[in-house]
Amino acid sequence: MAIACEVAAPFVANSALDGTDVIWPLNHHTASCLKCQARHAAMAKTGRQLRAMAAEKNEAPRDLEWRVMSSLEGDLAVSRSWAKPVTLTAAALSMIAAIVIWRLRPRANA
Amino acid sequence: MEGRTVEQAREEELLARARSGDRAAFAALVREHGDMVYTLARRLVGDPHLAADISQEALIRAWKALPGFRGDSQFSTWLHRITVNTAWTQKKKAKRHAGSSLDEVGELAAPFDSEHPEIAGEIAELRTDLRRALNALPEGQRQIVVLKDIYGWSHAEISESLGITVTAAKVRLHRARSRLARMLEDV
Repeated sequence: MAIACEVAAPFVANSALDGTDVIWPLNHHTASCLKCQARHAAMAKTGRQLRAMAAEKNEAPRDLEWRVMSSLEGDLAVSRSWAKPVTLTAAALSMIAAIVIWRLRPRANA
Repeated sequence: MEGRTVEQAREEELLARARSGDRAAFAALVREHGDMVYTLARRLVGDPHLAADISQEALIRAWKALPGFRGDSQFSTWLHRITVNTAWTQKKKAKRHAGSSLDEVGELAAPFDSEHPEIAGEIAELRTDLRRALNALPEGQRQIVVLKDIYGWSHAEISESLGITVTAAKVRLHRARSRLARMLEDV
């Protein structure tokens, strides 16, 4: 009987955590085995504890926000939908300004 | 506001602003979700310092990927996926082993309210044993148990995030649970 319990143990653990029945043919053994039933109950309890842990939170390091935001400050790789048009417009305006200044410069023979 | 809470509406507003490049809005999201990201990273890798690095990297990746976030899933779910992917790649890069000292396990203990202190004590002890057992699992197995049994991910989601097949995810979960059960029995 003990051998069957050890064979069934992984399947008992899985069915308890999934909330499903132990697979055939091991279910015939577990249905009448008090040890397997106790294991099933213990793992079902473990499953409830695991699910409850989802709501628990560890406090993040206090400097996490600073670390993230300061990394972003120096980050030039972030693409922005407006970044390219603004850069192109600024470059075009600079060129126009340079041409205008060049054309309007005081000439020696004027 | 049908079906939406004030928090959800606020988060959607922050997300819209962050998507358009508002860093202050993103900082607010970091404050809101930082603990959750860190908790998941810590559960996945064990080591608190590595978990902090993973959290930082995951949040930076989230900022970069934010323009592509269409809201098909919850923002927290999306962040979870990024955190898991980041943990996976960081661990591959670092090739360091996660710590599992008792001190770390102790730090993970969370407050538990109950009207019945004797039950609360028993549950707190159970949780401590459970965390210790989880930390003692091999990393690949721990990740699966954390994602499936704590966060309720599907096998498909796990396989996609960890870059393994659904069958491999199922097999690994089966082994992990079996080992966890044995460890808890030995406590």
